Amino acid sequence: MRRCWVPLLAALALLTASAGPAQAQFKPVRTVEFVVHGGPGSGNDVFARQLATIIEQDKLAPVRFQVVNKPGGGSTSAAGYVVSKKGDQHVIACFTNIWLLDPLVQQAAVNRLHDMSPIARLVVEPALVVVLADSPFKTLGQFIEAAKANPGKLRWSGGSITSRENTVRQLLMQVTGARWQFISFPSGGERLAALLGGHVEMMIVDPSEAGEQIRAGKFRAIAQVSERRLPGFQDIPTIKEAGFDIPNVPQMRGVVGAPGMSAEAVAYYEDLFFKVSQTPAWKKFIEDSQLDGEFVRAAQVKPFLLSFEETLRDILKVAGAKVIR
Amino acid sequence: MDIFSGLLHGFSVALQPANLFWCFVGCFLGTVVGILPGLGPAATIALLLPLTFKMDPASGIIMLAGIYYGAKYGGSTTSILLNIPGESSSVVTCIDGHAMARNGRAGPALGIAAIASFVAGSVGIILLTVLAPPVALFALQFSSPEYFALMCLGLALVVLLSGPSLIKGLLSLLLGLWLTSIGTDLFTAQSRFIFGQPQLLGGMDFVVIAIGVFAIAEVMASIDAGDKARMLPVPKGLRNLLPSWEELKACRFAFVNGSITGFVIGVLPGAGAAISSFIAYGIEKAFSKHPEKFGHGAPEGVAAPEGANNADSGGALVPLLTLGIPGGGTTAIMLSALVLWGVKPGPLLMTESPDVFWGLVASMYIGNVVLLILNLPMVPVFAQILRMPVHILFPIILGIALVGAYGVSGRLFDIGLLVGFGLLGYVMVKLKYPTPPLILGFVLGDAMERALRQSLTMSQGDLSILVRGWISATMLILAIVILLLPLFGRFNQARMKAIAEGG
Repeated sequence: MRRCWVPLLAALALLTASAGPAQAQFKPVRTVEFVVHGGPGSGNDVFARQLATIIEQDKLAPVRFQVVNKPGGGSTSAAGYVVSKKGDQHVIACFTNIWLLDPLVQQAAVNRLHDMSPIARLVVEPALVVVLADSPFKTLGQFIEAAKANPGKLRWSGGSITSRENTVRQLLMQVTGARWQFISFPSGGERLAALLGGHVEMMIVDPSEAGEQIRAGKFRAIAQVSERRLPGFQDIPTIKEAGFDIPNVPQMRGVVGAPGMSAEAVAYYEDLFFKVSQTPAWKKFIEDSQLDGEFVRAAQVKPFLLSFEETLRDILKVAGAKVIR
Repeated sequence: MDIFSGLLHGFSVALQPANLFWCFVGCFLGTVVGILPGLGPAATIALLLPLTFKMDPASGIIMLAGIYYGAKYGGSTTSILLNIPGESSSVVTCIDGHAMARNGRAGPALGIAAIASFVAGSVGIILLTVLAPPVALFALQFSSPEYFALMCLGLALVVLLSGPSLIKGLLSLLLGLWLTSIGTDLFTAQSRFIFGQPQLLGGMDFVVIAIGVFAIAEVMASIDAGDKARMLPVPKGLRNLLPSWEELKACRFAFVNGSITGFVIGVLPGAGAAISSFIAYGIEKAFSKHPEKFGHGAPEGVAAPEGANNADSGGALVPLLTLGIPGGGTTAIMLSALVLWGVKPGPLLMTESPDVFWGLVASMYIGNVVLLILNLPMVPVFAQILRMPVHILFPIILGIALVGAYGVSGRLFDIGLLVGFGLLGYVMVKLKYPTPPLILGFVLGDAMERALRQSLTMSQGDLSILVRGWISATMLILAIVILLLPLFGRFNQARMKAIAEGG
């Protein structure tokens, strides 16, 4: 009896000794897949590539972060892909509002964001309502009046029907009674081209995407989708200031892991992205693209997502969408 | 800065020894990426991006662009030799390229692909140099109705890809159109035909389908036929490994066609290199004096699509460099690379960063020469691959096909799809259904459906929006003319002749 206890105890001791630090020190051992739901060149794609690049540039991780594009059905394809990698410690995704929205409005979107492994919320993104520089619409009010006069004639370009572009449109149509069309384009490049070519009259676009076009005198911003005016656009009113009392629709971006990701791995990625958020390159990116870069940790992200989902559900109901979950 | 002094400045940047070196590295890597199916330029550029941070932005973009256009040179190699498209833009090259290889003309096919790539690639850059700003404005004229008409024109080419039976060609096309609708719909966010498979939510990749119905199906059909004599003839002697003067002369029009078609379609942000290669092939066949030779190893059938996909590179850089609009995956990554180097890509790039803009343009002239020098000497070497006996060659083809399909997005699910499409292709070959229309439908169907629905949303359901603009109206009329071609004249006789010959 005594003879078999010794190795057993030794083995136990070894196990506890090796398990402790090994777990606490999760490190990715192969390329991390960084899933985005947009096509290449979309805002989300550029954002994720920026993160991946800072990680590589500053050697913050021992492996590469490969951006994987899974466009299709808003976030549905990307979320489905992430869930199909359940338990994988090397699959993370860049989530936005649409990851919360899709499951609320469509039957096929069965994969919900808070069932995955939230890691961090990185930014809240304001947006600009822009028209062509030579457009007759100098204010959002003028656009709405024109839309009232010609119901269904004016057009916005944007992404999927559950995107912020469409949510804001729905809310504005609700409070004003005006009506105009929403044209879906799969990539950010095509949306920009549609406005530049004059095939639509207006679009809602990230300041990062619109900034260069405004600087070159191609676009004019007439309102901003934000709680308060952005530092770079002090003379542009927010939608509320423009006289349209609709709830603000913040666009958030953050990082989520595959479902069933170990707590150690979540902690690793949380710490990694916190480090990213402290780099000069990231701070410059936040400033250049006019974002709100408050870092929200994993422990707070999940309750935030749950409460924000409620907010979105209310917005959707006001917007007249059919909420199924 | 006018064009001449701009270009001069560009060459002073591109000819610096360091930049020449990076241009060579980019072209070399691009060639390798092109040859390996499944590894695309977009993934490679993303992979190498961190290496470029220490570089000057001009050197960086020169190298990354080298990978981008170099991949299109290499893409034809496996298409011609093994019937496996190396890149999505080389799918069409399989049709006549591999047929030439079967006729013992693998070397000339590779040579023609390289020369067509060089000629059209250079023309694409010349057009980029002199026409970029006005052409960018033309691209912006393209709205959804124009894209719809363009896709219709492309689909009408089914008539030319069908072989003897038009009905079978149309059925094959319909199958492709159905396959492309699998996945999640952009407009309603609802899934279609996914049969409970979440992996299908994002749709299928067309490289997987093309490898299945081309390469796997052909290997199966060959094994089934059991003839060892089917081993591909590779004549000895250098003369038989390079294109003959007659073959090059036959390709004159194809060089011009590929250059212009590729560039014009490349400029459009909503159409990719695969589409331009299909359309160039269609135009080539429609205007050919002997359309019956297409599909049986016509050198023009290699020159036109290979030229088009290279001219497309020059075109695709127009909206990227003049407007800051990326046209596809690879250019989007180049755009974010510019941002990371601190260059602001947008309408002001040309004036604010002349080193980057003109340096890149000038380096592409040099890169095309580098690529020709890299690729031509490899032709005799690659052609030797076909000397292998089938019991070695076939397993190699199957292996490359599997790796290529897996490499597209790294899912085992795609291997299953590959096997499924291999079987489908085999059945189609057995029943004499042409497979190119299926691929055509798959490539164009998605974009066509989207453009139609965008158009009808814009017009609130009024169909006349589709013919209101002169560009879309012209293309739709052209599409109808092409569809009616089989009913008339010389073209029909050629088809009948093909039937009589059992082709």
